[in-house]
Amino acid sequence: MTLSAVRKEKSVSRMIVIVVLAILAALPLVLTKGWLSLVTEMLILALAAGGLNLILGYAGMVSFGPAGLYAVGAYATALILVYTSWPFGLAFIAGPFVAAGAAVLIGWFCVRLTQVYFALLTLAFAQIIHTIIFEWYDFTKGDNGIVDIPLPELLKPIPHYYYFSLIVVALCLGLLWMIVRSPFGKTLQAMRENAQRAESVGIPVRRYQLAAFVISGFFLGVAGSLFCGFNKNVFPNYAHWIKSTEMLVVCLLGGIYNFFGPLVGSVVYLFLDKVITGYTQYWPLVLGLIIIVLLLFLRGGIAGFIAERWAQRRGSREEAS
Amino acid sequence: MFRVENLKKSFGGLMAVNEVTFTMTKGEISSIIGPNGAGKTTLFNLLTGHLKPDSGTVYFKDLEITGLAPSRICRAGIGRSFQKTNIFPRLTVFDNIQVALMSWRKNTRNIFQNADRFFQNEADEILVSLGLGGKKNRIAGLLAHGDQRLLEIGLTLGTYPELILLDEPTAGMSPEESRNTMELIQRIVRARKLTLLFIEHDMNIVFGISEKVRVMHVGSIIAEGSPQEIRANNQVQKIYLAEEM
Repeated sequence: MTLSAVRKEKSVSRMIVIVVLAILAALPLVLTKGWLSLVTEMLILALAAGGLNLILGYAGMVSFGPAGLYAVGAYATALILVYTSWPFGLAFIAGPFVAAGAAVLIGWFCVRLTQVYFALLTLAFAQIIHTIIFEWYDFTKGDNGIVDIPLPELLKPIPHYYYFSLIVVALCLGLLWMIVRSPFGKTLQAMRENAQRAESVGIPVRRYQLAAFVISGFFLGVAGSLFCGFNKNVFPNYAHWIKSTEMLVVCLLGGIYNFFGPLVGSVVYLFLDKVITGYTQYWPLVLGLIIIVLLLFLRGGIAGFIAERWAQRRGSREEAS
Repeated sequence: MFRVENLKKSFGGLMAVNEVTFTMTKGEISSIIGPNGAGKTTLFNLLTGHLKPDSGTVYFKDLEITGLAPSRICRAGIGRSFQKTNIFPRLTVFDNIQVALMSWRKNTRNIFQNADRFFQNEADEILVSLGLGGKKNRIAGLLAHGDQRLLEIGLTLGTYPELILLDEPTAGMSPEESRNTMELIQRIVRARKLTLLFIEHDMNIVFGISEKVRVMHVGSIIAEGSPQEIRANNQVQKIYLAEEM
């Protein structure tokens, strides 16, 4: 590819991002509150899946327990708001940091294992978090959850919280974009491709896996905190493996080898969820079929598929010229 | 500069590497030969930290490096390549080399800048010296086998080692490709003033470029000397004759 072609592609993708942001910013003017809530949910799930994909797609670490850290973020914010008089901003920021702290602890054990053992250990830790939340009734209110979490007046209207989420998610995805393109991000991809070789060119693989796990945990925590404010209630099932599976499916649906995969996955997943549950109660059946089709025919996910077609078209055009 | 003393490793009851002792001087080009299962690759794995020895010591530039993690040994200045092609298959050829350079220059913790701008010229220089300059934007895993082997050597060079250990660098190549590759390696080793230890099966190559040949048999080094000495060694002839029969 020539330099001018690279520049052109860069400016095209920048245009796409600006257009998408402009459309998102204008949505409250045209959408009903119900649909706006759905888009808010899509944004938050996109951030959670994007955080997960840092380790899943870029570092090649398959975690079955992302919801554990997501719940830690959500509960940290919720508990601070209920038990202390901290302002919302502080409670909101605390969520991701508590999640990152938990990720240090959990990750320290998990990166000692690889592949299926790593996956199972992350699942085990997430279920431990779920159990703690479920059983520690005096502190977390157990399966009743924490309800009616106080929000500042400014954030109570749905369009306001939508804008708040949009800004936070855009900022976080911007940060993630920077990270995956940095030398650190490239190092993660090299580790995914061949951990032994990475170690042999001087990269202490486990330490980098831990760093990636903690950064991923931080963004899962942001998503959890955002959802806590969105829903104004938090429940133990935020940490449940079903929630983890949902995040994994979103990544796979969109494509794990494409930065925008989780974003696309989140939009499609929640849209289908909403539309299909309107017609039938068999949403899990449809979801199962979707997963089968994905794994058999569309391994790169939706975004991966589009990117591939795009590259093919560009390739044939370059050949023609 | 490189000293190995009484290195031992057994797997269960099998003594894979037994009391191996040898030294290498700076700039030396030497090889290890021996029948399949002699313990050559196991020895390499002990030297580069992929396996921990049961006993014995390894010194590199008077520093003990026995049993350190592979990444630490790489940082100390020892690079290696593997018998089975070991690259980053889904990254581009350029990215492969760049990762090695970023690692060596301690740039891999940088999360704030775009990686594209780093070490372009250095990576290009390595790729050109291997004849891969025109293929830098190709996906590494889709290269022809011979080119993948060269890229692997490029990865080894990317960390600026002083000593390189190459495990059958020409495995799977045609005789002509093998010869060209070994000439290329020899040229690079001389130009960069490196020390080279390699495992090889092709005797023409071994005797062609080694200053010293070490013969391994059931875990031990049974002979060590110049190519002429090794060729004339009775015990070595016996082992290789026995294998051919």
